[in-house]
Amino acid sequence: MKISDIAAGRAGDKGDVLDLTLVAYDDEGYRTLAQRVHARDVEQWLAHVAPSPVVRYELANVRALKFVAGQALAGGVYRSLHAGMHWQKAAIWLLLDKELPDA
Amino acid sequence: MEPAVELARSGGVDFVGLECLAERTLVTGLMERAANPARGYDRRLERRLGPLVPAAMANGCGIVSNLGSANPYAAVERIVALCRANSLPGITVAALVGDDLSGHLEDVVWEGDPLEEGGQWLGAHAYLGVEGMAEAFRQGASIVVTGRVADSSLFAAPAIAALDLGTEALAGALTAGHLLECGGQLTGGNLAATQGRQLCARELANLGYPTAMIELDGSFVLGVLDGKPARLDVVGTTLQLLYEVHDPRLYHTPDLTLDFGELLLEEVGENRVRVTGARGAGRPETLKAIGFVKRPGEVADVEITYAGEGAVARAMVARDVLRERVELLGLRDYAVDLVGIDSVLGAVACLPPGYAPPELRVHISARCTEAEEAQAVEDEVYALTLSGPAGGASLRSERRPHVSVVSGRVARSLVNVSVEYQVS
Repeated sequence: MKISDIAAGRAGDKGDVLDLTLVAYDDEGYRTLAQRVHARDVEQWLAHVAPSPVVRYELANVRALKFVAGQALAGGVYRSLHAGMHWQKAAIWLLLDKELPDA
Repeated sequence: MEPAVELARSGGVDFVGLECLAERTLVTGLMERAANPARGYDRRLERRLGPLVPAAMANGCGIVSNLGSANPYAAVERIVALCRANSLPGITVAALVGDDLSGHLEDVVWEGDPLEEGGQWLGAHAYLGVEGMAEAFRQGASIVVTGRVADSSLFAAPAIAALDLGTEALAGALTAGHLLECGGQLTGGNLAATQGRQLCARELANLGYPTAMIELDGSFVLGVLDGKPARLDVVGTTLQLLYEVHDPRLYHTPDLTLDFGELLLEEVGENRVRVTGARGAGRPETLKAIGFVKRPGEVADVEITYAGEGAVARAMVARDVLRERVELLGLRDYAVDLVGIDSVLGAVACLPPGYAPPELRVHISARCTEAEEAQAVEDEVYALTLSGPAGGASLRSERRPHVSVVSGRVARSLVNVSVEYQVS
């Protein structure tokens, strides 16, 4: 099962910080996300763009997890040397496309 | 512009907000202002406000917008002229000024050294809160134009002016502002969801923009105009609630630090979501500041296409040739991507078996210390069409300035916020 099977997502940025949100479609989906998608998983998935620790925030009241990665966009997107300079809105698929890790 | 004009004409809203200023777009305004002191406001001003101002003023609907960009006062002069050209006398238009920190950059505590690598300031701005904007509306302004303000504050200001709110209600109004500021992102745009209704192209092309009906206690109901295509539900509202907030229990705005940890969302009708329980505390003593620094040289962006049988293999050879050639030029600060494979989400360890796109582009961006070096990078890509793998086509080349975004904090007491009024 992929993360996108149980959650919607959106990515954004501020300065060099990449900010990823997952929202489960129901309570069971939220429990699964919270139990199985940890900061260390996201650190691995973002390893090629974000050197620093990823911080996870949990919001059970709205069935959401957030993952925030500093220094992911060094100097902001203006500094980027990649063809997709403003790539951050696509970054959510770095999570949505992944198989759910084991608990 | 139609969503804003339709909202203004509907008679169902007291104010419309236009958020026009992404983190980076101020750079354009700063460069235009440097070339001409009468410019530097959003260059879309006439196109956007041309249809909106007459529609809004005819329906008693106020306007708030940050399209003042690097020059809110000049924007007000343009808007007053626009009112007069539309035979709209007696309209009070206000400019919020004080966000521009270029006269006192030393007051800001910057992260790191902003001027490293020979950088030069393009400008710097503080994120202002509701204070001056709410005052302008209380003083009878119909249109308030700003430069850099927090987006949540931009949309909350008219409500605060009308309602004279306490802390809890202020938290609600700021939360409403935060939800509204990205327009279509709340009503079904940029929605990565596999479940629920998928909006079709015709619906997205005519997407309804969100409204908030804010109560005295700060609770509010989000909606769209009847009949407008939209998907406004709890999942999409949650995505926008948490969009770019980092810690959702400590979301810093210039007016209050918001806490979404107790907030509740409820669908109360088709495309209607009720929001309660926004909390907040502590008006920060410092404001966020953001600066733009231009460093020497420029970035060369050059692309070339490979198409047909074996396009992937030829593009990969082109990438390797290009790397070797730019290394010979002495360049070290560059990246070569295959657009269609790894330019957005990064390196893909192995391509799926049988993956054979009919075409793809090879892209190089190189940070160059001088214009001649950037030209040499373009020349190397051009050389691929003659001396590289077969069929290099559709070459495109651009240069962009080498601009960095730097962040800091500035004491609120050192930022002089004021409002300047003009009447049409």
